[in-house]
Amino acid sequence: MRDKGLEFGVGLFVLLGLAAIVYLTVKLGTGSFVAADTYPLEARFANTGGLNKGSTVMLGGVTIGRVEGIRLDAKDYSAIVDMSIMSEVQLPADTMASIRTSGLIGDKFVALSPGAEESVLRPSERITMTESAVELESLISKMAFGSVKEGAEPQADGAQGSTNPAP
Amino acid sequence: MPLPALADADAEATLRGAMDEAVAVANHSQGGRAMADKLQPILERSVSFEAMTRRAIGPGWREFSPAQQEEATKLFTKLIIRSYSNKFTPGEKPEVNYLKSVSQGPGKIEIPTTMLYKGSRYSIVYRMENRGKWLVTDIVAEGVSLIANYRAQFDGLFKKGGVDAVMRSLKDSVAAAP
Repeated sequence: MRDKGLEFGVGLFVLLGLAAIVYLTVKLGTGSFVAADTYPLEARFANTGGLNKGSTVMLGGVTIGRVEGIRLDAKDYSAIVDMSIMSEVQLPADTMASIRTSGLIGDKFVALSPGAEESVLRPSERITMTESAVELESLISKMAFGSVKEGAEPQADGAQGSTNPAP
Repeated sequence: MPLPALADADAEATLRGAMDEAVAVANHSQGGRAMADKLQPILERSVSFEAMTRRAIGPGWREFSPAQQEEATKLFTKLIIRSYSNKFTPGEKPEVNYLKSVSQGPGKIEIPTTMLYKGSRYSIVYRMENRGKWLVTDIVAEGVSLIANYRAQFDGLFKKGGVDAVMRSLKDSVAAAP
């Protein structure tokens, strides 16, 4: 009767609400349900400090992809960032990737700047021209401890044979 | 990968040779423009200024006519050498410590170094490419790439004023460099 109809309506409303929450979580989280056509690219950084899975990849301020994962290259301890880039964006082979911060302490993202090469990066190729995250802390510590003033005799600590003073 | 270890050693030897020679020449000069002019032929043997210019200018490069490309390369070469040799005082010897090089795929290598100069320690990475011989194509000082730094500036200029703006800025910068 009337009560049954009301209960059914409330149930439906709750279910709709739950569906909306799930949809939003996925949308706002790592990405979209139906991924646009993308291709994978890699970039090697010395330091990805603060970059996450799901971080955006931008070119000229426009989002053209996102970070799919970050892993460590066990051989030389560098970080390899896997990205997916929208298929319609073809990048020249000398494209540079930098890790930038939005604002002073905001989120990290990968900024690409295209070069002038005729050949383009093919899927799964690796960008080797990169700039790692600049750490504010290390810059501060350099300011604080960095420079020993001139006059002090330069001394190489821990240089093992490969030091190469000019003749 | 044919003999990667050998190729790595080759690249490092090229870099070492060029650095030693450059420092020796710089130490025997008066500094300033005279030093920059003396250094240029030495550096041109081990640094690919052509690739550096093309990459520093970025996407706008394709709009340059061949003559403009040549002129831009000349100006950019002068600009880099002048602005860097300006930081060098004759008589002060930098101590360079070469760390283990990292291969970046066929014909590409990164050689990280630390340099002790006037009491400060700097981390400088040289990116080299094999184009018949090993040539330096980028220098990353304290995490900041030379190419990226210039590309950001030139690309902005190019989008505002096209080829002319880039050429004008190159000319002005070379004239302003000490």
